[in-house]
This record gives sequence, structure tokens and C-alpha cells, in this order.
Amino acid sequence: MGRTKRFLIGGVIILAALSYLIYGGMREAIVYFRTPAELKAQEQSSKGKSLRLGGMVVAGSLQKDLKNLTYRFQITDGVASIPVYFHGVPPDLFSEGKGAVVEGKMGADGVFLATTIMAKHAEEYSPPQTGEPSYPHSFVPGRDEKKP
Amino acid sequence: MTATIGHSCVVIAFLLAIWGIIAPLLTYKTGREAFFASTRAGILGQFLLVTVASSALIYALVTADFSIKYVAFNTTRATPVYYRVTGLWGALEGSLLLWEWLLVIFSGLVAWIYKDRHRELMPWVLLIFSIVSAFFLAVIAFASNPFEVLSPPPADGRGLNPLLEDANMITHPPLLYTGFVGLTVPYAFAMAALIIGRLDEAWIKTTRRWTITAWCFLTMGNLVGAWWSYHVLGWGGYWAWDPVENAAFMPWLPATAFLHSVQVQERRSRLKAWNLFLIIIAFSLTIFGTFLTRSGILSSIHAFSSGPVGTLFLSFLALVLLGSFGLLAYRMDHLRGQPEFDSMISRESAFLLNNVVLVSALFTIFLGTIFPLLSEAIAGVQVSVGAPYFNSVTVPLFLSLVFLMALGPMIAWRRASWNNLKRNFLWPALASIGVALLLFVWAIRDFLPLLGFMLSAFVAFTIFFDTARAVRARRRIAGERIATALGTLVRRNQRRYGGLVVHLGIVLIALGIAGSMSYSIERQATLEVGQSLAIGPYKVRFEGLRGLQQPTHFRVEATFRVFNNGDESRLYSPALKFFPNQQAPVGRAEFQSTLADDLYIILSGFSEVGKNQATLKALVRPLVAWIWIGGVVIVFGTIIAIWPFRGESGERKDES
Repeated sequence: MGRTKRFLIGGVIILAALSYLIYGGMREAIVYFRTPAELKAQEQSSKGKSLRLGGMVVAGSLQKDLKNLTYRFQITDGVASIPVYFHGVPPDLFSEGKGAVVEGKMGADGVFLATTIMAKHAEEYSPPQTGEPSYPHSFVPGRDEKKP
Repeated sequence: MTATIGHSCVVIAFLLAIWGIIAPLLTYKTGREAFFASTRAGILGQFLLVTVASSALIYALVTADFSIKYVAFNTTRATPVYYRVTGLWGALEGSLLLWEWLLVIFSGLVAWIYKDRHRELMPWVLLIFSIVSAFFLAVIAFASNPFEVLSPPPADGRGLNPLLEDANMITHPPLLYTGFVGLTVPYAFAMAALIIGRLDEAWIKTTRRWTITAWCFLTMGNLVGAWWSYHVLGWGGYWAWDPVENAAFMPWLPATAFLHSVQVQERRSRLKAWNLFLIIIAFSLTIFGTFLTRSGILSSIHAFSSGPVGTLFLSFLALVLLGSFGLLAYRMDHLRGQPEFDSMISRESAFLLNNVVLVSALFTIFLGTIFPLLSEAIAGVQVSVGAPYFNSVTVPLFLSLVFLMALGPMIAWRRASWNNLKRNFLWPALASIGVALLLFVWAIRDFLPLLGFMLSAFVAFTIFFDTARAVRARRRIAGERIATALGTLVRRNQRRYGGLVVHLGIVLIALGIAGSMSYSIERQATLEVGQSLAIGPYKVRFEGLRGLQQPTHFRVEATFRVFNNGDESRLYSPALKFFPNQQAPVGRAEFQSTLADDLYIILSGFSEVGKNQATLKALVRPLVAWIWIGGVVIVFGTIIAIWPFRGESGERKDES
């Protein structure tokens, strides 16, 4: 049947094109999740791959330059810690001693170059605190000061 | 008291829904008309009871009755009245009740409108509605009760997520849910047709307007969601390929495919099984979307056990898929033996290709959405699939869809001759190539956006060209003036012209997406008072900070003066809102739109200590406004397509 064959060929071409699109897209865009310890263990094989690194921002490690919007800090899972460099504005919830996930690639010098920082969102809202909130005199994403 | 009334109504409605499943079966077994009458009464009863239950919850929200847990968790004494009402869909329990409410409104309308028609189909249509309704009522009554009592009642509630305190949140969920629930109508008719084995065009003709309306709501729901994301979330984008967005978008794809392929069945009696497949998939995806977004499975597969709602939805989804495809397989012998297409170059082929592309897009988005779950479940590897995957995969597919949008409405049914092709496409093709050349010479050198603009122009030109020719013909035949001629044409072929207007709307959206995806500029800086940031044609100067106490929060505003190419200046005041219950402030970005581009300014941080300084992010996003304009055009087109014009039996004469 000439017609059936033609539809079959059309179908195969469409499937092949689709698989190619999906394969190409996935190869570019898949991001693996690593903990700092896992990343330390496979530092060599991880170079150049898109990664998400999740852990805690080490208290006291955050150095920021607001003028140039660069942030340097350490991310730890309690076992190992990885230095991270980020240029840009981190999300509001990002701060020392809190959980964060950074996305980017491992640099040649062992510093993780983050393109995005995702701070852990609190799922539930905390109950209202008693008393009025204090007047916020400043708010800088990436707090390093401890709340009084 | 309110809680007791609400919960009792839900439980009684559940029993009526069970009766709605039993009674049609009894009608079939005994042939007694009384059972069918009682099914209809049961549907009406469900409508009344669920309306009372929903009103009870709204009443509790408005009167801040904190003895009900849902109210205490989603409002405060300070919440304005309209946000208290919208609290109905602010969280899981209430939004399920809203869904069910819409469902019984739809089933009530169907039972009422078709009370004397489709006597054979109707019991089964109402049976399907009752099954869906019984499921939702069971979840609301026993697993996710919005009327759960909190004792002792707290002095004040926790309040709505501040991000939901926005006018768009009043409309986004109801629009989306109306679209979802609206798809139940064609689904129920399709299943009824399968059950009684009457697989002609009757169920499609009956549900045509319902499907178009549901599709329009689905489109609006997604667009308003995008608008909300752009307007409120303050990241400067409107679509992130977030799983929640994908869940809302996925049903749109088979629904769109269905709208087109049913025309092939109406006109040429082909694709019968395919149409049933599409509507089953579209309906299943509305259930799947709720499962995906409400089960907690997205954060991790291990979070899945967090509540019973996810498991219930998954079980119901399995039931829907097994039942529907089981019926389809059972009736397959009725669906065989349809003649094949006459030619590859015909309107039915164009529609089939459009379906293939839409279903491919659905498959790729589905795969990308659930891939992290599969990977974690099968290989134990945690991965995420980012926006680049979705963009690189769907952009070629959507571009080919735009091309098919030019082809489909103009190419001849059965077999297109060279003359037909030349007549309809030669001039539009030349004109769109001309546009592309102009754009290339002017500034646009990148392949994909150039292709996008050219194809969009091609669609627009085919539509204008075709309409102009039809208007000229009417002027010649009937001697009408242009406006009258256009009016006559639209009235006589309302589906065709409504569809063409919708296509124009889609083209405008495509323009907006192509422009903003390809040519956005983004800058970040920390400025002191008086300093400026240059971005694109704009210069943004920081003028100062001020703090304002608002009823629910404290607001810190930064003022920026924006100069466009050096001359006119406008003021922007993006803000950060500090809510007492929240760990971090909520950003309130500000943007101003022109038809050419939007300038979008986000305040990220500020400091009054030492010096007055502000950290900001500014974006220039070209053509974004056309996305929203396109949405308005789509609504307009839909209204043309379904408007009940009087005195004309337009239904019969419809051409496409």
C-alpha cells in the first residue's frame, strides 16, 4: 500500500525529529543535584556539567561587594564545604546559616561559579509575632548580621 | 454552625452524586423514565447543596470566623473583604470546593439545557458528571475538609500568602478552573457516545460551543497566570516552565488539537478514534495537573506521602484512564473502516499535522515535567530539567504551528490544487518574505526570531488577503459597503471568522514571546542617590527612599526617574513589602509598558544606614505588551465564534 507506507515514513521522520529535539534539549538542560560532599568526591568528572549544589550557607563565610554585586560564600552539608562565587542579586531569603541551592558549574580553580541562587522557601507562614515589627532601616539580600 | 451546615451539604451532595451514578444504570435496566427524572433532580440537588456549602465558606471567610481552620489559616482581621472572598481559592481545601462548585454549575446547566434533547445520551452524560462530582465531593468531605473546626479559635488568622493579594489572583484560578471543568462537558458526551455506541458527529456538534468556551477560559487562565507572574512575582518574566505552570498549560494542547480535529470529523467523517483519544487525554490532564501540583510529589518523590489527596487523585486518574481507554477499545469496531485521506495536500492533512505537532509539544513538556520524578524513582539520581530544555524543544514545534496556522484555514478540503495554493498563498508568502527582508536590513539578524516574525506575518497576511477578497466579492454581488459586507460575512461564517480572529490573537502572542525571548536586556546595580544606570534606550536615576506604614505591612519604596533617550522622564517606585508574618520581604516590582517595550524595575535591597543606596535590577523586554493584547483579541474571536446570532441558521452554513 503506497499510502500506508507514506504515512509510515512520515511518522518515522516525525518521531526521529522529535527524539532529536528531546535528546538535544535534555543534554543541554539537565541539571544534576549534588551535595558538597558528593561534589568534592567527583570534582574532576563534574567539571563543565550543569549542577545544582544544595546545602547550608556557612555562617561567617559571606563576603559581598554591593557596588559590584559579587558574592562569595561557602556551602556545606556538614561533611564538606565548597566555595561559591556569584555575580548578581540573590533572592530575598538568602542569608548565612540558612539553606540555599546554587545552580552553575564547577570552575577550574575549585570555586563553584553560580549563575542562580535559590533560597529555601518556608512552606508555612510563621504565626504572627507579638508586638509591632521594627522599622526596617535597611535590607540587603544576603544578610550576614544576626537578628537581635 | 457554619461549619456544620457546609460539611453536611457536602456529605449530602456526595450521596446525591452516588445516586447520580446508580440511577442512570437503573434507567437502562428497567427502562423507567422516573429514574432518569431522579438523576436530573439529583444533579440539580448537587448544584443547590454545593452552592450552599461554598456560600457558607465564603460567609465564614468574610465574617472572619476563625473557628474554621481554613479561615484562620487564610485570612486575618486586617484582610480586605475582596481578598477574604478570594480566600476561597487561596489554598487546597477551598480550591477543591471551587472546582466542585464549577463542576455542578456545568452539570446543572447541561441537565437543564438538554432536558428535552439527546434522550439517549443524557443519562450517560449525567452518569459521567456524577462520577467526577462524587470523586471531588468524597475528597472534600473526607480527605481535605475546608470546614475543619479549630478549637479554641485563635484571636487572629494567619493570612493569605501576600503574593496572592493581587487583583489577578481574583481571576486567575476561577478562569483556569472554569477551563478545566468546562472540558468535562465534551468528555462526558464523548464517553456517553462510546457507551451507547453512537459514534457519529452528534456528540461533537452538541459540545462544540462548550468546548470553544472551555478552551477560551483555559487560554485566559494561562495568560492571566503569566500576567500575574510578570506583574507580581517580580522576576521580570512571565513564564518559567515551572511544573505548576506546565500542569495548567498541558491540557490546553490536546484541547487545541481537539478543536481542530473535530472539524475533520464533522466535515469528512475521519479521525473519530483520534478525537476521542484527544478529549480523554485533555480531561485526564486536568486531573493529572491537580495531582501534580497538590500531592507534594514535585519537591521530591519522597514528599509524596504527605497527604491522602495526592494518592486519591492518582487513583482517580488511573480509573479515568482505564475506564475511558477500555471503552474506546471496546468500541473500536465501530471506529474502524473510515476512508483514508484523499490527498496529503489538503486541509485535513494540515489539521492532522497540527495535531501531531500539538501532541508532540504535549509529550515533550510532559516528559520534561516528570523527568525529575522518573529519574529519582528509577535511577535514584536527583536532577532538574530547566527552562532551556523546554525552550529549545518547544520553539521549533510552536514555529511550525504558526506556519500551519497560515495553511490550515485557507487550504482546500480533500485535495488542494495548484490553483488553490497559488490563489491563497502566493501574495501572502511574498509579502511575508518582504517583511523578513526589511527586518533583516533594519536590525534583526538572528535566525529564530526572524523566522518567527516572518511566519507571524505570513499568518496575518493570509487572513487579511482572504478576508479582503471575500469582502470584495460581497460588494460585487450584494453591493454592500465594506463594513456591512464584513458584518454579513462574519455572521454567516461565524466559526470561520471567529477562528481567524483567534489566530490573529495567537500571532500577536507569538510576536510578544519572540521579541521578549530574543531581545531582552538585563542590568543590575547598586546606586547611591543621584547615580544612574543606563539600559537600552533608558537611563534610570535613583532619587531616594521612603517608608510607608500600610494596613497589613510596611512598605519601603525607592523612587527612580527614568529618561527615555534623554528627553521625557517618568517616575518608577518599586517597593519591598515587609509583612510581620514573613521571614523575608515581598518585592513589588514596577514596570511601564509601551507597544515597543516594557521597562521593568525591581528593588532588590536598600540601605539608609550610612548612605542612601538601593540595589536594583532593571530589564527591558521588547513587545511584551502584545502578549496581553493577543489575549484580548482571542476573547473577542471566541465571542464571535460562539455568539448566538439570531435569525440565521449559521450553524449549518459554517465552513470551517
